[in-house]
Amino acid sequence: MSIQHAQDNWFVAILIAIISLFILFNIFRARKGRALYIRRIAGLDAIDDAIGRATEMGRPILLIPGMTAFGVIAMQSLNIFKYITRESARFATPMRFLTANPTVYTVAQETIQEAYQEAGRPELYEPDSIRFLSDRQFAFASGAAGLMQREKVAANFMFGEFFAESLIFAETGNMVGAIQIAGTVSTTQVPFFVAACDYTIIGEEFYATSAYLSREPVLLGSLVGQDWAKILFASLILFGSLVATFWGTDTPLLGVFGKAGGWDAFFKGEGQ
Amino acid sequence: MQLALDMSRDGATWMMAAIVVLAFLGMFGLVFLLQMLSTQGRRAIVVAVTFIAGLIFALEFFLPAQPVDGQDKNFLSDPTLQIQNFLQVVAGMALGLGTYGLLRLHLRNVVQKRAQWGYSASLLISLVVMGFLSIWHSLGEKNVEGQPLVATNETAEYIFSVLFNNMIVQMDAAMFSLIAFYIFSAAYRAFRIRSIEATILMATAMIVMIGIVPLGKAISEGIGLPAELPPEYAKEPFSLTAILYSLKLPTMADWILKTLNAPATRAIEFGVAVGGLATAIRLWLSMDRGLGV
Repeated sequence: MSIQHAQDNWFVAILIAIISLFILFNIFRARKGRALYIRRIAGLDAIDDAIGRATEMGRPILLIPGMTAFGVIAMQSLNIFKYITRESARFATPMRFLTANPTVYTVAQETIQEAYQEAGRPELYEPDSIRFLSDRQFAFASGAAGLMQREKVAANFMFGEFFAESLIFAETGNMVGAIQIAGTVSTTQVPFFVAACDYTIIGEEFYATSAYLSREPVLLGSLVGQDWAKILFASLILFGSLVATFWGTDTPLLGVFGKAGGWDAFFKGEGQ
Repeated sequence: MQLALDMSRDGATWMMAAIVVLAFLGMFGLVFLLQMLSTQGRRAIVVAVTFIAGLIFALEFFLPAQPVDGQDKNFLSDPTLQIQNFLQVVAGMALGLGTYGLLRLHLRNVVQKRAQWGYSASLLISLVVMGFLSIWHSLGEKNVEGQPLVATNETAEYIFSVLFNNMIVQMDAAMFSLIAFYIFSAAYRAFRIRSIEATILMATAMIVMIGIVPLGKAISEGIGLPAELPPEYAKEPFSLTAILYSLKLPTMADWILKTLNAPATRAIEFGVAVGGLATAIRLWLSMDRGLGV
């Protein structure tokens, strides 16, 4: 059963509250000046190399957020693309941004224009470089593949949510000899990107990207909060495994995790 | 009585129309206000609206709900539904902007006769023809008191059907089928034996690929491995029969998928979920300045 309200599974609601506290606590800790470490991510280090290659070849770079609808993933993708555009604008390297979502298209126009202004090159901004192709999956895929072939893009950045069209992008990019960096939260598409791209940012690394690139305290603190949450998850999995091993899966102790029946079940011990 | 009902229905329609017009005026007023304000003032309004909108959704999730018309609802459930409808309307407007951008680019390509402007011309013709026919088709399907909104035309319906079913759907299928060839070429590069990791990857992939098709079962049983695991051996994992059964290609493929692959995928999904939550919190509290709000 999908969770519509916290009362459908109070344990999940409490877990969300705890993780939120972890994240907020670490953000405030980082804001106070606490030095935080972030490990090296090879794919992100390669972004500057890819832009440099495109500059040397005099060919455009291509930014694709996939089929991402406007939301948290799209905002994260646009953050990453803003950084890439700002860096490419410094070297006057042309860029193309292709999307299948009209809302992402309108926000991307503002974001990309701002990136050019921040780079000190507002005159290089071309509204036509940001394109809404189609909201049909394969019409969008064929449009993007066609642009890669026609313009012989030198670098292909794919960050966002992808579905079956991912391999069409990655293989076409490979055919035109583009250096390719992909980052996705779609676990089903990760193998295709790993097989076809030069660098792949997997899962949570996608959300770590903006922290890695900007080193802003808020983003770094949030990243540490996420690590705490993962330690909590790992501890709960270990605890659950041990309890299930020694006392069986029917033990009331395990029933506590995921008990349905509303808040009364939590406060008064009622419910299932 | 009928007259009273008609008047009440007319009144409700006018009320709805007035609400829509007022909402539009309010929205344009807000846009105008944002343009007039300084950057700090604009930021304050955006931060406040973001926080209030996020708070409504968060409270709707956490506050207790009671069953109403077969659904669990609290006092914020209906307003959140209205907000979601409003967001769909905004997304609809964005679709217009997206189409305008597409038209502007390709019209310019045709007018200025840029390189490969023929493609742009075919896009514009397709857009106009398909747009016209599909709107006609959709209006013909909509009934008001048993009457279609627009009279349908058989020839137009036939052309629409040919364009949609015989062209768009088939072209989608053609693009989708291309993926099979792309998988082949990507797999060829990925499975080349260049390192220990690539060798393990290739061996694992071979076991899974052969194990999940009937060929895997046929090969395993052809070399004498047991077809089924008798129940008496199910609790004896170190018996010869159980070990031989475990060496079957379908059993190994199943073990790789469920015991090795699924936990790794779930671990990634845990990370993605927590990362999404962290980003959502930063956006809600306007801590994320990435887009320069």
